[in-house]
Amino acid sequence: MKFNMTLHPNQVLVIKLYGELDHHQTEKVRAQISKAILQGNVKLLIWNLEQLHFMDSSGIGLILGRIRELRAVDGQTVILNPSETMQKIFKFSGLGGLIMEGSEQNVILQARGIVNG
Amino acid sequence: MDNQMTLTFIARSENEGLARVAVTSFIAQLDPTIEELSECKTIVSEAVSNAIIHGYANNPNGIITIHAIRDGAAISVAIKDEGCGIEDIEQAREPLYTTKPEIERSGMGFTIMESFSDFLQVESNVGIGTVITFTKQISSARTLVT
Ligand SMILES: Nc1ncnc2c1ncn2[C@@H]1O[C@H](COP(=O)(O)OP(=O)(O)OP(=O)(O)O)[C@@H](O)[C@H]1O
Ligand SMILES: [Mg+2]
Repeated sequence: MKFNMTLHPNQVLVIKLYGELDHHQTEKVRAQISKAILQGNVKLLIWNLEQLHFMDSSGIGLILGRIRELRAVDGQTVILNPSETMQKIFKFSGLGGLIMEGSEQNVILQARGIVNG
Repeated sequence: MDNQMTLTFIARSENEGLARVAVTSFIAQLDPTIEELSECKTIVSEAVSNAIIHGYANNPNGIITIHAIRDGAAISVAIKDEGCGIEDIEQAREPLYTTKPEIERSGMGFTIMESFSDFLQVESNVGIGTVITFTKQISSARTLVT
């Protein structure tokens, strides 16, 4: 599947996913995302789902797995632009609290404040 | 019964997308809302990936069969595998219960399937296989029919 990763200043990593995130696609992207988190010493991970048209529980596993990796460095996670169905899935899974409103740029600025205290 | 469809494919993860597209097209005849369509798509994806990951433990020789029926405003879809089966169905349906945490499964599949369907039936026998059947009323069709 198509996805972009952009490392911003202050160890903010934005992952933009495209198309459909299922079991098949998750297996293909997990290793690369993990590596970027580790190498970038990421403190804030932003999942921008604006261009993601479908996600099932595989997406929950992928995001929870990265939250676990970020825990070692006290890294935070933010979810942007989930569809209505995805919002429900995140809420069932206890991840509803990670969803933020606003544009990617605004969230990056706002979140830097959070990260830097 | 107004229409029906059967789809059979082998347990390769590439086919998860195929299963979603086939069932989505079948349901589209009822003119569902985007939400209804995307919820049905999610249920199919959960059941098919469970058959591949758990039922057949990623053995691509396994066969998965989907049988979809349209009856008035109601859609009913059965997803069947002839894999290992589920020992304790009640436990499997509990939120966050998974037998495969090491490959980042979250144990949310059954919770999602139950929440997005009107009715979810799980039939399973160890060594024989599993059939997941969900039914859902489609709202636009409901207003047409009644
Ligand atoms: N078709 C199946 N055949 C055999 N066992 C199954 C099948 N479907 C589900 N199970 C069992 O039920 C458990 C719960 O399934 P569920 O879909 O809720 O969670 P999961 O697949 O483990 O995780 P997730 O769906 O969040 O990725 C599975 O871990 C597995 O042990
Ligand atoms: Mg599952």
